[in-house]
Amino acid sequence: MHGRVKVKSTAQQEEEKRKEREKKLKVYLSARDAVFSKKSNGVLDEEALQLTQQLLSSNPDFATLWNFRREILLHLETVKEEEEMQKLYELELLFTESCLKVNPKSYGSWHHRGWVSSRLPRPDWPRELSLCDRCLSVDERNFHCWDYRRFVVKASGVPVSQELRFTDRLIGSNFSNYSSWHYRSTLLPLLQPGTPSPCRKPAHVSPTASPQTHGHRVCEEQLLKEYELVQNAFFTDPNDQSAWFYYRWLLGRAEREEMISCVYVSREGERVTVAFSKLVNAPAEGLVLVLDGQPQQVEWRSVHPLFRHSPVWLCELPPGSISDINNEHNLTVHWTEKHTHRDCALYTGRLESWCRDSATDQELFRSELSIEKTSVLQSELQSCGQLLELEPQNKWCLLTTILLMRALDPLGHERETLAHFQTLKEVDPMRSSYYSDLCSKFMIENTILKMEYAEVRVFSLSDKNLSTLCHLDQLLLVTHINLSSNQLLKLPPQFAMLHCLKVLEADNNAIENLEGLYQLPKLEDVSLRNNHISKLSTLEPLVSCPKLIRLDLRGNPITKTANIQAELAQLLPSVTDLLI
Amino acid sequence: MVSDQQNLLFTYYRSLNCYKGTQIKDVVIKPDAPNSLILDKHADYIAAYGSKKDDYEYTLSEYLRMSGIYWGLTVMDLMGQLDRMNQEEIIDFIKSCQHDCGGISASTGHDPHLLYTLSAVQILTLYDRVKAIDVDKVVDYVRGLQQEDGSFAGDKWGEIDTRFSFCAVATLALLGRLDAVDVGKAVEFVLSCMNFDGGFGCRPGSESHAGQIYCCTGFLSITGQLHQVNADLLGWWLCERQLPSGGLNGRPEKLPDVCYSWWVLAALKIIGRIHWIDKAKLRAFILACQDEETGGFADRPGDMVDPFHTLFGVAGLSLLGDEQIKPVNPVFCMPEDVLQRIGLHPDLLT
Ligand SMILES: [Zn+2]
Repeated sequence: MHGRVKVKSTAQQEEEKRKEREKKLKVYLSARDAVFSKKSNGVLDEEALQLTQQLLSSNPDFATLWNFRREILLHLETVKEEEEMQKLYELELLFTESCLKVNPKSYGSWHHRGWVSSRLPRPDWPRELSLCDRCLSVDERNFHCWDYRRFVVKASGVPVSQELRFTDRLIGSNFSNYSSWHYRSTLLPLLQPGTPSPCRKPAHVSPTASPQTHGHRVCEEQLLKEYELVQNAFFTDPNDQSAWFYYRWLLGRAEREEMISCVYVSREGERVTVAFSKLVNAPAEGLVLVLDGQPQQVEWRSVHPLFRHSPVWLCELPPGSISDINNEHNLTVHWTEKHTHRDCALYTGRLESWCRDSATDQELFRSELSIEKTSVLQSELQSCGQLLELEPQNKWCLLTTILLMRALDPLGHERETLAHFQTLKEVDPMRSSYYSDLCSKFMIENTILKMEYAEVRVFSLSDKNLSTLCHLDQLLLVTHINLSSNQLLKLPPQFAMLHCLKVLEADNNAIENLEGLYQLPKLEDVSLRNNHISKLSTLEPLVSCPKLIRLDLRGNPITKTANIQAELAQLLPSVTDLLI
Repeated sequence: MVSDQQNLLFTYYRSLNCYKGTQIKDVVIKPDAPNSLILDKHADYIAAYGSKKDDYEYTLSEYLRMSGIYWGLTVMDLMGQLDRMNQEEIIDFIKSCQHDCGGISASTGHDPHLLYTLSAVQILTLYDRVKAIDVDKVVDYVRGLQQEDGSFAGDKWGEIDTRFSFCAVATLALLGRLDAVDVGKAVEFVLSCMNFDGGFGCRPGSESHAGQIYCCTGFLSITGQLHQVNADLLGWWLCERQLPSGGLNGRPEKLPDVCYSWWVLAALKIIGRIHWIDKAKLRAFILACQDEETGGFADRPGDMVDPFHTLFGVAGLSLLGDEQIKPVNPVFCMPEDVLQRIGLHPDLLT
């Protein structure tokens, strides 16, 4: 089905081909029918082995035939001596090898070979490993063969260090070998450090660990060696994506600790809002809320009905439990499963209170290398800078430079980062939306950092070319947000995490979806001038915001609809100040 | 440090002299390649495909017949032409392929397998005829293939692959019986196949591959666990599959292909990042893979067409918003109206 080029042929050629195919069909059908008849009659003999061999040689994807061979072999095991079986299975290996030579990507042949290897009375694993070597030297990307290699390595206990040297060799002969880089990423976390140098996290790899979730359990020492290898790769061929993908993984951050990052309590709303360091399904997490020493029966709900998993959850307290302003209250949320909790005190006379770790405390958006090793990142950045001078249009180098700058000092490098993003969009226009979204994310991170250094609850992101919103869980305490003059298309459901929001300005965007303006208990003032709101139904989420009194829709298509004033008054009766 | 950097520069200058550098593997779309959608021809091609049953090539593909029928029927339904296919004949065929163990085979006389069990259930769902087979037995069959570690074997011979995890939960979800297996463990296994690039492979440790990524994101959608995906990282890898021709490949340094265009595009849709590729260029690539003489789509411009690439070409154009085609669901690769009818709404990230 793949890679068969269509060739034009004459009527005579067609006729010849047709006749030939007819002949082949006859031979094929008679063999198939003979096999099927043996199969349905339970005839498990060596003639059946021959027939299936004949058919599989030309059609190795015919899975039922491999199954039948296994049935026959299992039967022969019960009647033959071990020595005879050893010979039979070795023939079977020769046969699969010949099938793999014709079709090295047949799932059936590879699976059968693995099965045979496991049944062989005296397996010869080194031979299997050398088969993989040969096969990978023909096609270094054949993932079936790589998977078979991993099977052989596991079955015969080949040490991790030996496999790592194998990838050294492959990468050394050709850097452009994504499969080898991938293999390294799975091997590194398994590697025991030679000296007891401090690893960043204990080598506590569970059987189901994957490099994605546990990748950064790589020793710093090994990490630095990897940087060097990757640099060699991209200085040899700056356009080869494999090494760059790998490098981005090396630069990635470790998992965040699982914790409650913020507890917010509102006296008037008699409501508790909790932010977690990751997405959770709170009702299933065994949370316990204790108010003044008494565990409370509460019902956790996510900020938006679309989310079963969310970083922000809330619950109502029993009526009257905290409403008296003359009382002080102490609240604790326990996340028992994770052995962590967070306290929050609501003092006399206060309307609200919170307790949290800020993004700056947690160093959320920076590198996790130890302080003395950040000098290494600095020199990585220098190398990228040199490469960029030689190859100013190289998108991989541009993007990596941005990532290094962010790992080192996100605010200090903001201006250069923006310039590099601009270049990226020009040299790689097919992915400009990706770069826009990534740049938006970084600008939001920077603004969060600046806001936290200034300890304010006002968040201004106007005129930053934002194409998307993210990190909204970090904005739980924000009361005023300005998103005007960006390229936003929507206020996504995640926007409903801004539980303290009173004033929203989002003028001069291309917003046509307001799903996220949902059950925001304090929202009073919404300005959406010059957007793309055209339907009354778009405004429906606002019905769930009880305090909304001011709404500015000037410059939206909806203002041109007949009778709009009356319809809006009916939909949003609380709005007294409507601008259209 | 300085000497290290001099070394690197030396490497670079040497490479300019003797190292050719990576040639991007891609195809060239000829100026006379098709650039408009010829739906009628595709429908004729599919309608005629099943009629040449004594053809050699057709016979050779018997081992995947059930999936072949699913591809043909689904693309016909997406084009609004399902009624041209012989429903009764197909239902009888499916019935003849269900085995005592409950599993369904690609064709009569073949052994049952999860791949063809899913295809059969998809076909029956298209026709709203699920009750034509023994549903309880299908559920038992799927349940029996789940392993200790949560993974699924494709059949009793024990091949493990995340494709089969997808087949298992997709089959059960279509039958409304997802609770029949240990979903928590199944999820744990699929997550253990997540790689450094955010993608997924066949088994733990296997390299990322667009087909597997489709299966695993589809699996996580059906099981309500998409929040476990690193969507920004995976989305970057996926949008880097787009080549200058506009087509998408399935892994780095590979050629573009219509079927990979579907796996990548559907996965991007599932994780809410479909806008990260250039839609107009992809559309042009897919259209160029049509055969104007015979109808149908090939893997690449100028190759032979087949029903598999015809489905994924048409489904890809549907995801790109072509209004001549019914909206397709990115998780099940079935018309949205069919899933609506059975009340199935798999999650998508926003
Ligand atoms: Zn293909």
